[in-house]
Amino acid sequence: MDFSEQSHQTEIRDSLNKILSEHCSQELLKEYDANFKHDESLLSLLSANGFLGLGLNEKYGGSGEDLYDLGILFERLGYHAAPLSLSGCLVDVAQTIQKFGNEESCKEILSSIIAGEIYTSAILEPFNQDPENPMTTAKIENDQLIISGTKYLSEISSMAKSILISANSSEGVLLVLVESDKVKLTELSSTANSPLFKVELDSVRISRRSIIHEQGRGLEALRYLIQINMVMRSYIALGITEKMTSLVAGYTSEREQFGRVIGTFQAVSHRAADCFIELECLRLVNQQASINLNTSLDCENDALISKIWAGNACHKISYSAQHLHGGMGVDKDYVLWRYCLLAKECELINGSASQNIDRLGINITTNQ
Amino acid sequence: MLIQLSQKQLKLQNELQEYFESLITPTLKAELSQPEYFEGGGPEFKKAMKTMGSDGWIGLSWKKEFGGKELSPIEQYIFVETVMRTGFPFPFLTTESVGPMIAEHGSEWAKEEIATKILKGELIFGIGYSEPNSGTDLASLQTKVIKQTDGYLINGQKMWTSLANFSDYIWLATRTDFEAKNHKGISMFIVPTDDPGFSMSAINTLGDVRTNATFYDNILVPESHLVGELNQGWSLITSQLNLERLALVNHGPVEQLYKDVLKTAQSTKIDNNQYLSDLSWVKHNFAHVHSGIEALKLICWKQTWIMESDQLNMAEASVAKVYGSEFFIEAYRLLMEVMGELSILKNDSDLTILNARLERMYRTASILTFGGGTNEVQRDIIAMAGLLMPRTR
Repeated sequence: MDFSEQSHQTEIRDSLNKILSEHCSQELLKEYDANFKHDESLLSLLSANGFLGLGLNEKYGGSGEDLYDLGILFERLGYHAAPLSLSGCLVDVAQTIQKFGNEESCKEILSSIIAGEIYTSAILEPFNQDPENPMTTAKIENDQLIISGTKYLSEISSMAKSILISANSSEGVLLVLVESDKVKLTELSSTANSPLFKVELDSVRISRRSIIHEQGRGLEALRYLIQINMVMRSYIALGITEKMTSLVAGYTSEREQFGRVIGTFQAVSHRAADCFIELECLRLVNQQASINLNTSLDCENDALISKIWAGNACHKISYSAQHLHGGMGVDKDYVLWRYCLLAKECELINGSASQNIDRLGINITTNQ
Repeated sequence: MLIQLSQKQLKLQNELQEYFESLITPTLKAELSQPEYFEGGGPEFKKAMKTMGSDGWIGLSWKKEFGGKELSPIEQYIFVETVMRTGFPFPFLTTESVGPMIAEHGSEWAKEEIATKILKGELIFGIGYSEPNSGTDLASLQTKVIKQTDGYLINGQKMWTSLANFSDYIWLATRTDFEAKNHKGISMFIVPTDDPGFSMSAINTLGDVRTNATFYDNILVPESHLVGELNQGWSLITSQLNLERLALVNHGPVEQLYKDVLKTAQSTKIDNNQYLSDLSWVKHNFAHVHSGIEALKLICWKQTWIMESDQLNMAEASVAKVYGSEFFIEAYRLLMEVMGELSILKNDSDLTILNARLERMYRTASILTFGGGTNEVQRDIIAMAGLLMPRTR
């Protein structure tokens, strides 16, 4: 048993904090409130400093396959509300290819991702409650695939070279890398102004070689992708909620009413303490899930538990923070509001708490 | 970072499970099912404690000089977790919180006579903190001690002295300086319950757990019974409470109950085609409990791991206490919902499920949100020590 971070992990956190606090000031973030939320120069900087290789094998130029390292990156991106949406690229594409791709595609794709090239994924489908069973279809014709379907909430797709698509076929589930120019992209405007797209595939014809995994391992790869996405999204949630909690502590320790700082009222400090408890629980279940995913390709219950805690923490801490800040919490000149919007996005994408409770309940009662 | 039990620790867990299966005989079980022995204290209970002690289990992480094995606090936690899963009323406050304080701060007599006997399973302590007018505001306690030439003379009254009816000693918080500010005039004593000046009256509680009001009438104890320095008792109390808070929320019992209710639901047919566990709301209840237990387990493991290298951190011990105690109440409710009306049947019907453990456990859960330091005070501590907010008033 060892809950301590290794020294290189603390260094990752410290240097990320340094870079991100410089590049995610209020003034700079404001620029992205109404514009396409993607900071190209920050991405280059992260690439130049090796942060895009976190969680990737050294032989492709990464810094090692520890998913806790990658978790720190997402936690910090959340903490600083960074104008970068990287889970499609660094998690869905990079991690799934690392685990299920062949040596050739690992070499090519992982090293270009580390160098700052953008890939993304399009997994979720409107009205489909079960992402493991895509409604998008891939018809197999000799060595060709013909893919049709509609995906959404795909990140920064307009910048991506290729998009990893999940589809059902006569051979079961497939994960396929499709060049972006073969699909129709529509930008969606959504609550946190994140760069999210609808991806439409209308009989897109591509080579079978675009399947990223060995024959018959598509479902396993997709399940892994969904799980690791849940866990890394829960790390974003951890960063977001940690920031909101520290804003609460800071604000209520200074704001005075009735001749005293409001943090001295138990009604206030106890609500803040509840945020702290929620945060500690989220941190621990995330740590457990990321560490277990290091050694196993299927940790569905751990991932679900992370995302359940993340969904609940995002919701509870966001509203507590807004409430305890009074009007400041909703004032766009103060920092909190952006985190509240991000929290809602993080809470709902890739499985809400209630949806995941349902899933976990099924697993518990049928698998034991 | 490594968040799992080692192979060796898993082996220990198995070994302990087997050990308790043979230790907890039908005779002992029968004794423990009698209300007056719910918390232990009967002859079979005492026998089992001594066996555990002489087999070397009680002090796994204790120093060798006291008879311990110097394993880590994780092994100690595994032991307590496993014994608590069996339902045996293990006196963990004696072994996990008071014992370590005496081993560290006690006089030579206390170390030799008391600490080693705790490890042998021969001694049990009651904790004398609360008084009729000092509960949450513990530092206002008034139990009075006057220094004599041959020791200390104790007079006062304590409330909620659980286990006093079969304890050998009381870990007693007293006031030794009436001039000093609240926290500064407190001292800790080891008080024998066979002193003629000691008496008690029973307090029966909703959980059918007996506790006591205890009275201290001109009890004279020698210098060796003082633990720590005179007037420096407050820090012993807070350290003891940090250890107590962790022990109170051990995840073993609730996880065992969850597993047993799950098994029952999976084997209970509700019609020709369906089991209880097939209902979606039942699955949801299990999922809520399961995800809550995982967080509790990790909190406890982390706290235990911290104890290997350091003192318990105040904020984190309070997080464990608040989260654990409030989660128990929620978990028992969700599990009782699963079994429905059957959950309220007592242990004397052919319809009784799980030996009526649900019916008993929910009744004992409420004491944990205020016992061991009320959760309001714990939240004050979290806000101050964890979030660096100003002290509330």
